Amino acid sequence: MPFELVPPGTRINFLGQRRICLALSVALIVLGGICALPSVKGVKVGLDFAGGTEVQLLFDAGVAVDESRIRNVIADQGFEDPQVVRFGEAGSAEFNIKFNSVAEDSVAAEAVRLAQKGEDGEADASGLEANTQVLVLENALREQIGGFTEQRVEYVGPRVGAELREDGAKALLLSALAILAYVAFRFSSRFAPGAVVAVVHDLTITAGILVMIGEEFDLRILAAMLAILGYSLNDTIIIYDRIRENMELRTTADLEEVLNDSVNQTLSRTVLTSITTVLALLSLYLLGGEVIRPFAMTMLIGVLVGTYSSVFIASPLLLALETRYGGGKQAPKQGPGVNKAARV
Amino acid sequence: MKAISVALLLVLFTFLAAANFVSKGERVESDFWPDDGLRLGLDLRGGIHWVVGVELDEAMVRELEFVRDSVEERLESDGVTLMRSAVEDQELVLVLASESDRAAVIEEADDTGVVESSGGRDLVLRYRLTEEWAVDVHERTMSQVLEVLRRRIDDPQRGIPDSVVTRQGDDRVLVQIPGEQIDRERARTLLKSTGFLEFKIVEDSDASRETLLARYPNGIGADQIILSELDPETDAEIGAYLLPQAADITGAYLEDARLQFDQQQRPIVEFRFNPEGGEIFGELTERSIGQPMAIVLDDKVYSAPVIRGRISTRGQIEGNYTADEAADLAVILRAGSLSVPVVIEEERTVGPGLGQDSIESGARACLIGLTIVLAFAIGYYRLSGVFASIALLANLVLLVGLMSLFEATLTLPGIAGLVLTVGMAVDANVIIFERIREELRSGKSVRAAISTGFQKATWTVLDANLTTLFTAVILFEYGTGPIKGFAVTLSVGIVTSVFAALVVTRLLFQLYPGNRNVSTLSI
Repeated sequence: MPFELVPPGTRINFLGQRRICLALSVALIVLGGICALPSVKGVKVGLDFAGGTEVQLLFDAGVAVDESRIRNVIADQGFEDPQVVRFGEAGSAEFNIKFNSVAEDSVAAEAVRLAQKGEDGEADASGLEANTQVLVLENALREQIGGFTEQRVEYVGPRVGAELREDGAKALLLSALAILAYVAFRFSSRFAPGAVVAVVHDLTITAGILVMIGEEFDLRILAAMLAILGYSLNDTIIIYDRIRENMELRTTADLEEVLNDSVNQTLSRTVLTSITTVLALLSLYLLGGEVIRPFAMTMLIGVLVGTYSSVFIASPLLLALETRYGGGKQAPKQGPGVNKAARV
Repeated sequence: MKAISVALLLVLFTFLAAANFVSKGERVESDFWPDDGLRLGLDLRGGIHWVVGVELDEAMVRELEFVRDSVEERLESDGVTLMRSAVEDQELVLVLASESDRAAVIEEADDTGVVESSGGRDLVLRYRLTEEWAVDVHERTMSQVLEVLRRRIDDPQRGIPDSVVTRQGDDRVLVQIPGEQIDRERARTLLKSTGFLEFKIVEDSDASRETLLARYPNGIGADQIILSELDPETDAEIGAYLLPQAADITGAYLEDARLQFDQQQRPIVEFRFNPEGGEIFGELTERSIGQPMAIVLDDKVYSAPVIRGRISTRGQIEGNYTADEAADLAVILRAGSLSVPVVIEEERTVGPGLGQDSIESGARACLIGLTIVLAFAIGYYRLSGVFASIALLANLVLLVGLMSLFEATLTLPGIAGLVLTVGMAVDANVIIFERIREELRSGKSVRAAISTGFQKATWTVLDANLTTLFTAVILFEYGTGPIKGFAVTLSVGIVTSVFAALVVTRLLFQLYPGNRNVSTLSI
């Protein structure tokens, strides 16, 4: 006998739990919303969307360095509110330094000096161009702390940041529209709203959880969100596909029963696919390195939320929409469905 | 027949994918491996990624200034003098001295054919560039900047191989310099220097700006300018010069510039003018013998040697620079000057060490993820799991092979997409297998169950993957840099995993029972 994760004939009454699930989802969304309030926790926006400069430095072996030393040197240079984070484990000599604006006085003078020296074609009067700032910062650190290798420099100017924000929003919106159109085309327009609401539910909760744990939103997170959008829809579509098939086969049955059966019949597939995806993502999360970790984490959260919503949220949504607006071929027992069946 | 063609396809793609593990040099040398394959993104390879903004407003202002000069010139020959003329807020402002001049001024402005009235009242006339002409200036400036930057990067002697300079959108240039070939500081000088070379006869000079200014209690003239010479080591001011605002001759006539060494083996830049420039330069030096001439690059005095005799086409620029700096200066002069300044708007630079780390951890995550997923599939579906695993491997080979064929760029998020594909590709097989199991439970024969299972699952598999494909394509459209790499692997991965499940797995299921009559299926 083959090993069955979900034994055949399993009939869990998923739809019966819909009130609890709905309450849970609403609670999660509200919690995320509360955390997003600036006075509670606020939404942290990463470099890509907020603009700013980030430098990752690996200090040479034997250089005595820690966060506070770096912070002091940077503060002396007039950089405002720099964030210094040690990368990896406690003893590592790798640091991430992030800063936004620069107090004009100290850095500007240095920048002009550098600019006149010839590192800069036209001397920026303000001396605030990020590239120069990085040079100023690195010179100071090298002189006062010790040698290092520049691992990474990222700078996003204000104009680019605004454009990336806009493009990100457009990408999310367009994806949602494309999905809506596809579901409406392949299934019926009655299925589309349920699928889209389920997907929006997944994204909102995932974003909420990211806010709760204080993760920064950047391009990687956006890419993960879009991947979730597609992935979570997969799950929903497969269940909806089965619902459609069952509706055609059993025109007499109670809609709630059909939905429940469909969810149960596809349950092992839903669970199995999530398992393999989660396994791959876990490996990425644990072994993929620092740069990819936020992406892997977002995907992990999204896949789990997406699986939950496909089973517990998408079908109740369909039921609610059908009983309210449907009334067509699949209605509750006492509805016209019975008459139609009698005719067959 | 079908089996043979699929097998051939897989062998071909395995070859394409495997070629990526052979070093570039060996590939080019051997006749066996294809020369090109997957490209590594800058985040894996290390390198500089810059999005450079072109200050087009500056180009518009300069164009308007040019129009102003020509209008004034023409009015002068008509005997009309303006009260005032200026370029403000991207507009040309002409103030009439008296109402009677109006017709003449309007006529001359209209005659330029490139400006249109944008309002004004009383004696003030306002003009802006016509839309058509503004577009023309815009395009001209962009192609000039692109060309100059390309010439600097592709310089035959000091150029940086494999670099990319392309236009991005309306007013930006994307610069990608791979690897460890250049440090940021040098790249910055090379790209951001305006490269505007001028020669001016010195009118007065002193040790510093202050002492020089002190000689002119009434201030210097409007057509004069004071520029400094700095010591490159200490940045201390070592001289200040009073020069005319307008250059006697500019670098526009340069034909060539190259690094040379003088008798003391100090690096200098030797330049050569074209015949036209040589004539102007010869005249200038002849009438200024005995006077110092300042060589000014981007408003900075490099040196101010005294002219000893007529020089026509050849000259040299001394400065206290290193051989590297002098060679870069020669590159900048050879490439010509940028017509407008450029600004770095976005930078993503990755050191080669970090890139290598990323490749290693990415590859490890991919390999271990793959192993776990394969083990899970085989443990759960037994023989069918083995089929799914073969299909999954075929999928990876197809994915990497296809990307190599199109010479796509692999980035770190791209590797993440690869791992994600591994996790998600099993999905199509799961859908099919679960369907076959259902059919078997309903009492169908193995052969019938397989056939119906595939039949019923096909559309479900397509539906499920098409939606992800949509989002991947949209992400490609709106993503930038490394994120685009994720969209690429994800979308190609979707296509190959559908193919692997619907064609490769199916084929294996057909081959396995063959013509025998099997009563049980290990699924």
